[in-house]
Amino acid sequence: MFKWTFKSLFSQKATLFASSFGVASAFILVIFFSSVWQGEAEQIIAYPNKMEPDIWVMQKGVENLHMSMSFVWDWKAKLIEDMPEVKRVTPILYLNSVIVAKEKKLFGFVVGLLDKDDRAGPWELTQGRGIEGENEIVVPDVFRELASLELGDTIQLADRSFNIVAFSKGTYSSANPVFFVRLIDLEKLLSSFGTFSYLLVDSNEGVDNDRLVEKIKQKVSKVNALTHQAFVANDFALAKQMGVEIIFTMTLICSILAVLIIAYSSFALVSVQTGEIAILKALGVRSPLVFMSVIIQSLFMTMLAFLVASLFSLWVLPLIPELVPQITVRPTTSLLVSVGAIAFIVAALGAIFPAYKVLSIDPALVYKN
Amino acid sequence: MLKLAFKLLGYDKQKTLFTVLALAAVISVILILEGFEQGQYTQLEQVVLNRNADLIAAQSGVENFIATRSVIPQLSRIDVEAVEGVKQAHPITALPIIYKKDNLRTPVYIIVYDSSGGPSELLEGRAFQYGSNIVIDKSLSEKYGLKIDDEFVVNEFKFTISGITNESAFMMPFAFINYDGMIDLFLESDIAPDLSTFPLLSFLLVELKPNADKQQVIRMLEASVPSVDVHTAEEIAKNDIVLGRTFFEPIMGVLVSVGYVIGLLVVGLIMYSDISASRKSYAVLKAIGFPIKKLFRMVVLQSSLLILMAIPIGTLLALISAMSIEMSEPIYLIEIVNTTVYYQTLGACLAFALVSGLFPLVIIYRSDPMLAFQMS
Repeated sequence: MFKWTFKSLFSQKATLFASSFGVASAFILVIFFSSVWQGEAEQIIAYPNKMEPDIWVMQKGVENLHMSMSFVWDWKAKLIEDMPEVKRVTPILYLNSVIVAKEKKLFGFVVGLLDKDDRAGPWELTQGRGIEGENEIVVPDVFRELASLELGDTIQLADRSFNIVAFSKGTYSSANPVFFVRLIDLEKLLSSFGTFSYLLVDSNEGVDNDRLVEKIKQKVSKVNALTHQAFVANDFALAKQMGVEIIFTMTLICSILAVLIIAYSSFALVSVQTGEIAILKALGVRSPLVFMSVIIQSLFMTMLAFLVASLFSLWVLPLIPELVPQITVRPTTSLLVSVGAIAFIVAALGAIFPAYKVLSIDPALVYKN
Repeated sequence: MLKLAFKLLGYDKQKTLFTVLALAAVISVILILEGFEQGQYTQLEQVVLNRNADLIAAQSGVENFIATRSVIPQLSRIDVEAVEGVKQAHPITALPIIYKKDNLRTPVYIIVYDSSGGPSELLEGRAFQYGSNIVIDKSLSEKYGLKIDDEFVVNEFKFTISGITNESAFMMPFAFINYDGMIDLFLESDIAPDLSTFPLLSFLLVELKPNADKQQVIRMLEASVPSVDVHTAEEIAKNDIVLGRTFFEPIMGVLVSVGYVIGLLVVGLIMYSDISASRKSYAVLKAIGFPIKKLFRMVVLQSSLLILMAIPIGTLLALISAMSIEMSEPIYLIEIVNTTVYYQTLGACLAFALVSGLFPLVIIYRSDPMLAFQMS
């Protein structure tokens, strides 16, 4: 019976492979969407992760960097810097806005840096130099490709023009490209002086950062302080939570599609093999065995689809950013495992109707011409 | 030939029904993906147009409304209102915040308004009565189980929900407060040296006098108030859509392409297995002298008929799915019936029918007319 199951399946190679590829595409759709979200979420925390201060200090009530607005009086930075546990405090001014270059617009994050202080600046430049003068800007290298930019070109931020002095690596994502300018230039742009957005606090060796966080919150009024790990975890959670519902919906829709494709293919196979199944039944093969063979065929097609989707995810998905550089794709093992689990459900659901048809095939059909 | 194609489809009704359902599912997936992208652009457009402004004045150099930081001097309102043709300039400020409750976080775009530009689609409650009132989008209300008169805490300042609206864009729910509320929020937070630190005025919604010439007023405004750039609401909405496209198009483009590949594979699969199963019928047709061209035309006709039957069911499936997505996740708008995109998608689906006709061509070509005389 087992041999017949596979023999009959492979006798319809075109149906087998086309349906497996169809279902694989539905799985790829889910994997791709989730991987993009994972990639974007990871890229959103790239900047704070690379800065890695021991503690982040921000406005009271604020707990995130991404899509947040925070104001901290400048004198509070001095107050924290004077604490014996603190080695260094690096303030940044932070703005999210629309960035324009050569008619190309994108939503970006601009970090204002203190003069001659690269503690909070770009961690890798692919071309150019650090910011030295007025109205200079460091731009993500991916944006350079998208807008065909060169060093010396102009970037427009509201009514101010900035000259590109460098391109930075690892600072681009669709939701969160990071640009760097001088803090004083950003202050002028915002017409806001005497405040910072966030303070990056580096503590002395051996200091208990959790205690320092508590001390900062106690001694400095109206600020919030978080360890680096907690701060990054907040941003990552925000990015992931924004996608939970839409990823679930996409998974559901694509799974239904996969179920229908499998159901159709199994049904088509059963239709083609009606005569053979009738013979099997006439020969005394019990219905549950035939029923099982339909389930195995459905499972095999789905697993083949899952294999194709997994190989695609491991080999082809990582190449997509080469073609579409603005997309960050990160397929994860846990994602593939969950799609694998979905594949089992798809196979089972897809086999229900064809299996029902198998049960209803009359062995007497053998005697019909 | 049409009659024959119909007869072939009607031969195994159960199978035809399954085929149509599978095709309808593919069509609905593509329509949902396209509708999701289109819905994002519509939301971006509506957020600007729903502010009901004839013109919008923004910081010089700023051409967008959403996700942009515009800061204009407070006194510019007087200068704008002094220009001939301007009836009134309504201030508006945008504040991005992260709302957190029960370990869940949501970025929220707060619109601060005064005399105009407030919530456009109140579903429940009222706009505001006190400074501490807030109107929130229904997606926030549903996600966090918030109701009228509940507390809504922003940066440790407690607002009271006075209304529920239906406004979101860029995958962000909107909330509305008035200027009293914003000043209380800033003052009670005591977080900066003075109020001027904060973005107090982002945009001016310019209301024109009847019969005022928009373009002439724009020219006069830009000449007499150099700190602002003035655009029509439609221009700003268009710019926001362009911005949205740079964000959504690369991702949605790949997704929709994969959707089309699935469509092609499924239609191809269906036609291949269908023709494969009725190989003998084609052999009979060949034996009685049907030329290959005609048989190919019949396959295309058959797949076109299947697609045509699948289109209304696929559209219905897409509409039902869109409705259930919008009901469970009101932050999203899935715009299925956008005329251009809808017909483009249907056109592409019909193209599948043509291309997929090529898949089983080889079977027809190879089927031996002698097969017609073999016993089954």
